[in-house]
Amino acid sequence: MFSNLLGEMDLLTQSLGVDTLPLPEPKPPRAEFNYSVGFKDLNESLNALEDQDLDALMADLVADISEAEQRTIQAQKESSQNRPPSASLDVPSFSGAASVGCWADVAAASVSQYEDDLPPPPADPMLDLPLPPPPPEPLSQEEKESQAKADKIKLALEKLKEAKVKKLVVKVHMNDNSTKSLMVDERQLARDVLDNLFEKTHCDCNVDWCLYEIYPELQIERFFEDHENVVEVLSNWTRDTENKVLFLEKEEKYAVFKNPQNFYLDNKGKKESKETNEKMNAKNKESLLEESFCGTSIIVPELEGALYLKEDGKKSWKRRYFLLRASGIYYVPKGKTKTSRDLACFIQFENVNIYYGIQCKMKYKAPTDYCFVLKHPQIQKESQYIRYLCCDDVRTLNQWVMGIRIAKYGKTLYDNYQKAMARAGLASRWTTLGTVSAATPAPPPTGLKTSTTQANGQIPQGAPSLTTVLGEAQRHVETTKDKKPGLGSHDPGAPKALQKSSLAPPPPVRRSSDVGGSPGTSPKVKGAAAASFPTPPDDLLPPPPPPPLLEDSELPPPPPDFNEAPPDFVPPPPPAIVGDAGSWLPPPPPPPPPALAPEAAKQSPVAVKRPPVPPKRRENPGAPGGEGGEQDFMSDLMKALQKKRGNVA
Amino acid sequence: MAGMQTASGDYIDSSWELRVFVGEEDPEAESVTLRVTGESHIGGVLLKIVEEIKRKQDWSDHAIWWEQKRQWLLQTHWTLDKYGILADARLFFGPQHRPIILRLPNRCALRLRASFSQPLFQAVIAICRLLSIRHPEELSLLRAPEKKEKKKKEKEPEEEVFDLTKVVLAGGVAPALFRGMPAHFSDSAQTEACYHMLSRPQPPPDPLLLQRLPRPGSLLDKTKLHSRWLDSSRCLMQQGIKAGDTLWLRFKYYSFFDLDPKTDPVRLTQLYEQARWDLLLEEIDCTEEEMMVFAALQYHINKLSQSGEVDEPASTDQGLDDLDAALSNLEVKLEGSAPTDVLDSLTTIPELRDHLRIFRLALRPRKLTLKGYRQHWVVFKETTLSYYKSQDEAPGDPIQQLNLKGCEVVPEVNVSAQKFCIKLLVPSPEGMSEICLRCQDEQQYARWMAGCRLASKGRTMADSSYSSEVQAILAFLSLQRTGGGGSGNHPQGPDASAEGLNPYGLVAPRFQRKFKAKQLTPRILEAHQNVAQLSLSEAQLRFIQAWQSLPDFGISYFVVRFKGSRRDEILGIANNRLIRIDLAVGDVVKTWRFSNMRQWNVNWDIRQVAIEFDEHINVAFSCVSASCRVVHEYIGGYIFLSTRERARGEELDQDLFLQLTGGHEAF
Repeated sequence: MFSNLLGEMDLLTQSLGVDTLPLPEPKPPRAEFNYSVGFKDLNESLNALEDQDLDALMADLVADISEAEQRTIQAQKESSQNRPPSASLDVPSFSGAASVGCWADVAAASVSQYEDDLPPPPADPMLDLPLPPPPPEPLSQEEKESQAKADKIKLALEKLKEAKVKKLVVKVHMNDNSTKSLMVDERQLARDVLDNLFEKTHCDCNVDWCLYEIYPELQIERFFEDHENVVEVLSNWTRDTENKVLFLEKEEKYAVFKNPQNFYLDNKGKKESKETNEKMNAKNKESLLEESFCGTSIIVPELEGALYLKEDGKKSWKRRYFLLRASGIYYVPKGKTKTSRDLACFIQFENVNIYYGIQCKMKYKAPTDYCFVLKHPQIQKESQYIRYLCCDDVRTLNQWVMGIRIAKYGKTLYDNYQKAMARAGLASRWTTLGTVSAATPAPPPTGLKTSTTQANGQIPQGAPSLTTVLGEAQRHVETTKDKKPGLGSHDPGAPKALQKSSLAPPPPVRRSSDVGGSPGTSPKVKGAAAASFPTPPDDLLPPPPPPPLLEDSELPPPPPDFNEAPPDFVPPPPPAIVGDAGSWLPPPPPPPPPALAPEAAKQSPVAVKRPPVPPKRRENPGAPGGEGGEQDFMSDLMKALQKKRGNVA
Repeated sequence: MAGMQTASGDYIDSSWELRVFVGEEDPEAESVTLRVTGESHIGGVLLKIVEEIKRKQDWSDHAIWWEQKRQWLLQTHWTLDKYGILADARLFFGPQHRPIILRLPNRCALRLRASFSQPLFQAVIAICRLLSIRHPEELSLLRAPEKKEKKKKEKEPEEEVFDLTKVVLAGGVAPALFRGMPAHFSDSAQTEACYHMLSRPQPPPDPLLLQRLPRPGSLLDKTKLHSRWLDSSRCLMQQGIKAGDTLWLRFKYYSFFDLDPKTDPVRLTQLYEQARWDLLLEEIDCTEEEMMVFAALQYHINKLSQSGEVDEPASTDQGLDDLDAALSNLEVKLEGSAPTDVLDSLTTIPELRDHLRIFRLALRPRKLTLKGYRQHWVVFKETTLSYYKSQDEAPGDPIQQLNLKGCEVVPEVNVSAQKFCIKLLVPSPEGMSEICLRCQDEQQYARWMAGCRLASKGRTMADSSYSSEVQAILAFLSLQRTGGGGSGNHPQGPDASAEGLNPYGLVAPRFQRKFKAKQLTPRILEAHQNVAQLSLSEAQLRFIQAWQSLPDFGISYFVVRFKGSRRDEILGIANNRLIRIDLAVGDVVKTWRFSNMRQWNVNWDIRQVAIEFDEHINVAFSCVSASCRVVHEYIGGYIFLSTRERARGEELDQDLFLQLTGGHEAF
């Protein structure tokens, strides 16, 4: 079986001649779009290459991709009925085959998560995004600075990573018992998903909104922290799970930042302190927060007291004296004092999440219903490794849960809160902006459209001038952007380009008709599942920028160093591709990418509507827009390699 | 000019003779006698003294010290009358800057010249400038504790005293960097060594020494230290310090502003050292788990500083991220080997297959029957571990398959007993499975262990860090072989003695009593896993942060007696609050926050501090264990430090500090 497959691939490899590079359209439905560039004399050409960057990149590409390849192949075997699944893949020989060509098979992965009442879509639809075909164009290496190369490599790797992004369709339960389904890609944080939901629901965007997971079976629930990766959390769920994701307001989420005194200055419920606490003014709160969260290290609230601990495997509860420290929860062993040296460690937070226990009184005979639960996120069934603790009252419960979250997440929690605040502030500003922008003749970016809809029925408050508001909003976004981890590197060259490209794609509000215009990895759900949904927002790049970036659209043609990722709104003009290589300016080559682009644009929207879309329908890399950057780069790269090879040959 | 005489030698003006000793408060010192009048200015007197001495020398640093009044005569335009100096005044003409020996937070001794005439606050600022420590307001000087007399004349090894007395700093501008250190350190090899001492962490102390050093046994003991703080508003001379005395330099206020690893190497290191000694000498308590983390960080820091990896070179300013690092790695590899191999190795995700003995714990350990280890054929691919009955069955279904992503990896190693086990705690939807892999030898262990560790973080053995991880594990094992015992009996290689892990030097003595070295070592190494990637300054910063997270961090204790109370109690002063603590039990009775404080007063006569908080809460106490000056200065100091955020970037407001901390003399 396997050798069959390999043979087929080899054929493919050969058929894809370097110079012809046909669009890989006519493929047997079964076959992957393993887009290959054949190097018959690979070793030779590699030996001849003096350019280490290119070597490194190509090698890395292969390494990066091989994992995806294997998955792809496995999935393929599983899905094709006439082929019995083979137990194990012979990796070495497989990779031997792979190394014949540079594989640019980029598997965008599977919808593996299904909500309880969703009809289970066919398993693991695969999506292949072949890389742009390289125009056979020589490239003069000398003129490239090594820095620029490094940037490009990084960009390419980034793009490649993007390309095999896993996506889930998540059904989110609203508090009015309705549900909304949305696509969540594996890089999205809870914050991004919330922003998405804000757009969809036109809610007031306040900081209390949260994603909330509930485990009916274990009777536990908790909020997603804003910085948590949603797909990662959901992938811990079992296939047949009853777990749900809710979208609701919980004032507990950021209670500590609204009333820090309740957590930091609580003198174990003494009357007098409560009175003074309620009087705490905003300034004091602020300084308390600053003190607790802005120092060299954060301060975990001092929290100690007797709690009930459920004994392993039994329904009996033991009262023990617990203390919270930054390093974990401790208890006082029998006959010992509560000095540090006597404490015994109960649990540390690295590997556990904190949940609220629901109706533990009934289920586990808990002394009260104020329970919290600590468990490893992967544990989904009842287990002795789940810890149940029970507090005397709800106030204590909230203090413990918040205290543990502070100890576990540290300053991140505060950052999350500030982002949420910024978002909430932004939302209120947008509502005022909406009315103004409706009158503006300038083509409003998509974000503006949304805000217009959002503003429906709202009274504009003292409408400030458009530019100032926009400017302010922009600043907001930029500050949040800056804080976002993982966005780009510290490298001076690349970040610009990266950021550019990350800003370029349309914000999450884009509807299905826009999908075609959005770059490469559009959401891909196989068959009926995909068709039955309102097409989910499609944002592939890490931080979905909520507001539009006016700068982008207003900008005159981008400066040369931006060319790697031309702005989204214009289809990439061929000259841009040329320009980016630096100073050489031969006549624009007849590169496939631009030629492809319009076709793709025409195709894509159709593809979305047609139900029996085979997953690899989305073979086209060159949707106009953000993809341009990748194209440019990849083609450059190919050119370079081909040139080298040509020299040798 | 004073000293007009008649022919018979009688003085006809109102001049009189003033005797001035030359030198530092030495009764035997040479003296000069001048003729002066009450109207003579100090400046003129100084000139005359210099003329009289008839020695060519730089006298610019010299000034007159009035012994009886314990006062420097620094106002050169003042007259003798204005100072009230008469013929019986004992005056000394001596240098204002004199050598002292500083005991730094890292316990090293350093000789340098400090100002004996300026208020201590300014003297400390100058010292910190010399040592290139920013934010000198956080530090101060203490008297060295009196040496106990009962020393059995044991010859203490002559310790190295670093010398910075010859270094002169140009005033004004901040010292420029030269060859990676402030320019004034790069003059000679000696000063360079001194900078290294300041900016690099010291090796762990000898465990025996650690046991000998005094440790506080109670809260009461912890109050003793604070009686030794010097007064910030008076000069060293006024406080009875003599040239050559030993003083301790310590971070006094536990509020570290704007700690920046890049600009603060000395400050960071000294802070780390102070934190470390705090923990090792049990000045601050922590739990066992916390101590293991501290020990692991110390071990890591020591290893880095020994190996000379003192932080990244300046060229990587933009900061290489992982990707860059990976890429450059790749480049190196590519250059080094034939491309075919590279491509092969890159496309293949390496896997491990071997016979291992497996000991499996069921989900419920209680019902466990000890079956012992069984030989299995184990295949470890990507992040998944599968095991089979035998190699022949490998293509079939495994007995069990575990995805190690997110699992806990615990080493269970005893080198001398040749036991190399890897304990895995693997989460699954049903709970955790525990499984123990027993390896035959170090090599096998290192390979599998490295794989497990990477897999637990979701990475495969294709990750570039795999081989370095293997090397690190092997290095650990060799350490355990050489240094783990803690005894110096068996010969050690030169490397081993420098880097050997003696766990007793890393933990407080009470853990030395509690655990054997071979029990400690694996726990420290386990904790080390989580910090092994940190750079030197990151690790130091992490150490400081963990120290700051301890509940008892940053509290200075004093014995006080509250007004209306009959017994002594403890007052704790932290950077944001005052804490009333029961002396006997150690429980917190009450906490007052500085943010609610209206004012505080000191009644110097009855040594009582009175504080008024919001809502008419009044607190008054007299100080027992230390002078109420020290308490007053602590409170004022913290108030001052809390103003820094607002005054960020401005010059240090010395007047405000002295106003807040000074006694009645200051006004």
